[in-house]
Amino acid sequence: MKQNNSRQHTASLMGNLLSPLIGKGRGRALMFVGIGIALVITLMSVTAPFISPHDPTVIGLGPVNSPPSAKFPLGTDQYGRDLLSRTIWGGRFILLVAVAAVLICMAVGLPIGLVSAYTGGNLDRTVALVMDSIYAFPSLVLAIMIISVFGVSIINEALAIAVVYIPTYFRVVRSQVLAIKEMPYVDAAKSVGANGPSILLKYILPNVISSTVVVATVNFADSILTTAGLDFIGLGLPVTLPDWGIDLTYGRMSLPTGSWWTIFFSGLMILLAALGFSLISEGYAERTNPKLR
Amino acid sequence: MILLSIVFIIMRVLPGNPVLLRFEKNADPALIASYTHQLGLDRPLYLQYFDYLWGLLHGNFGVSMAGDFAPVGPQILSRFPATLELTFYAFIVAVLVGVFLGAFGARRGGAPDESVKVFGILIYAFPVFFLGMILQLVFGIWVHLLPVTGRLSAGFQPTGLSINGVQYQTGIYTLDSLLSGNVVEFIDAVRHLILPCLALGLVISGVFVRMTRANMMETMRSDFVTAARARGLKERTVVYAYALRNAMLPIVTIMGLQFAILLSGAILTETEFSILGLGTYLIDRINFRDYTAVQGTVVFLALLISSVSLIVDILYAYLDPRVRL
Repeated sequence: MKQNNSRQHTASLMGNLLSPLIGKGRGRALMFVGIGIALVITLMSVTAPFISPHDPTVIGLGPVNSPPSAKFPLGTDQYGRDLLSRTIWGGRFILLVAVAAVLICMAVGLPIGLVSAYTGGNLDRTVALVMDSIYAFPSLVLAIMIISVFGVSIINEALAIAVVYIPTYFRVVRSQVLAIKEMPYVDAAKSVGANGPSILLKYILPNVISSTVVVATVNFADSILTTAGLDFIGLGLPVTLPDWGIDLTYGRMSLPTGSWWTIFFSGLMILLAALGFSLISEGYAERTNPKLR
Repeated sequence: MILLSIVFIIMRVLPGNPVLLRFEKNADPALIASYTHQLGLDRPLYLQYFDYLWGLLHGNFGVSMAGDFAPVGPQILSRFPATLELTFYAFIVAVLVGVFLGAFGARRGGAPDESVKVFGILIYAFPVFFLGMILQLVFGIWVHLLPVTGRLSAGFQPTGLSINGVQYQTGIYTLDSLLSGNVVEFIDAVRHLILPCLALGLVISGVFVRMTRANMMETMRSDFVTAARARGLKERTVVYAYALRNAMLPIVTIMGLQFAILLSGAILTETEFSILGLGTYLIDRINFRDYTAVQGTVVFLALLISSVSLIVDILYAYLDPRVRL
């Protein structure tokens, strides 16, 4: 019986998550274009070892800074590396950072928001104050500081971005829980003897989850942009990795000679990746938020 | 205040010694000790913390740890005008583009509206430095139209206002050059500002487009708009004089938060366009592990953000009489 219950609960959670994906209505086109872009980019990154024509890290594969040609469709960079292969490989790490950052944010921001808002009182006020002060601060400055102290690595990158975005999850979840916990159905659950944790998990969480998806997809897009930004100022991913952000940063050195291809494709990929996830979030929000319909 | 403490803890407790970084590996231990002592780093951490707070209350940001013991405060102040100038003009670009496009989309509906919406999402997904690079490439390298780095051409140095032989400089070049009446310098400063402000402003405008559009749509449905139309006012007047003014209210409140995003973007824009502002200062000091300078910059930014949100609150009260009741 208990197992059955929890299965039902999971099913209803999944239902709340996935129902905006089904059916017609506003925001559908946006969402599907976004999902399409995201899928293509993810697929490309996952299958990079099989589909890339060359090893992205081999120096001197072709002439230095050569424009797009039949042999190197996207040209070569200042070390003579194949830019097509680098563009195909370049999403792996930046996307990995984004996935890790979003997971950490969810794992921390969601529970803190739920519990803090549900408990209320001084605890809630204190947590909200700390979160708000982080939220009001320029995200990049904070990320820069964390990276500069802990050092450059994929994990630190993800952690820094997570710290910066946890307050966003917290705020969204908290404001919703504050409204939901006053609803009559929550009182009803209390009156039949449901305890705090079960109210949070069974009655409140399912109503918060769809806005968490909106935040998470925006967060994913922002993580990509922030990682690229950190790459750009030399505090991002290790420079030896084939990565869009790093290619964009170093491709810039060849800019004065007019070689547009060294920046264009990596920049375009970052833009597309961020755009894809922004579109998903926009479409999803339009479909779940009655105010926007 | 909270942020200040977090910054202090992060910067001090964690590994990495600024004194060791300054010297070679085999430096004289006595010299290292004297440096550490001079910087007060051998004192207990809580005393260091209270010393720092006490100093801040007196407007003292401490001395640089990167070796020359130069006071950090004046350095920050000397870098600030460049950032202020950049963010100020970029903000104007963002508001103009954002509010105009948002209002336009909401008024027209249909295809123009959809394109405005897509523009809002697309421009927000742009890495600001990528947009900067494209602008540099097109306007600076392909078409030699505008300068792509720095704040002024070589040889220019705005003198500012001089009264009775005393110079009053703001460090804001567009202002200084005007005060000294040097139009050539003014034009040069403006030409240097166009590309960075366009890059930063356009990226930030995405948020304004979305906010204005959403608010306008809501306002256009409200009764007073219908009433204004019923009185036979021109559609243009109704939209831009009546509806937009009310739709602007929530936009003013988000301006405070936008300022933080603007500062993040300014760091990248300054790096891209080699502007010597606070952003480039911060990155530069981090590479030296100059705790006090980094901390000072962060504190300065925090104070700045607090004052901006105060100004926004006051502005809001002015725009919306209901708040004053």
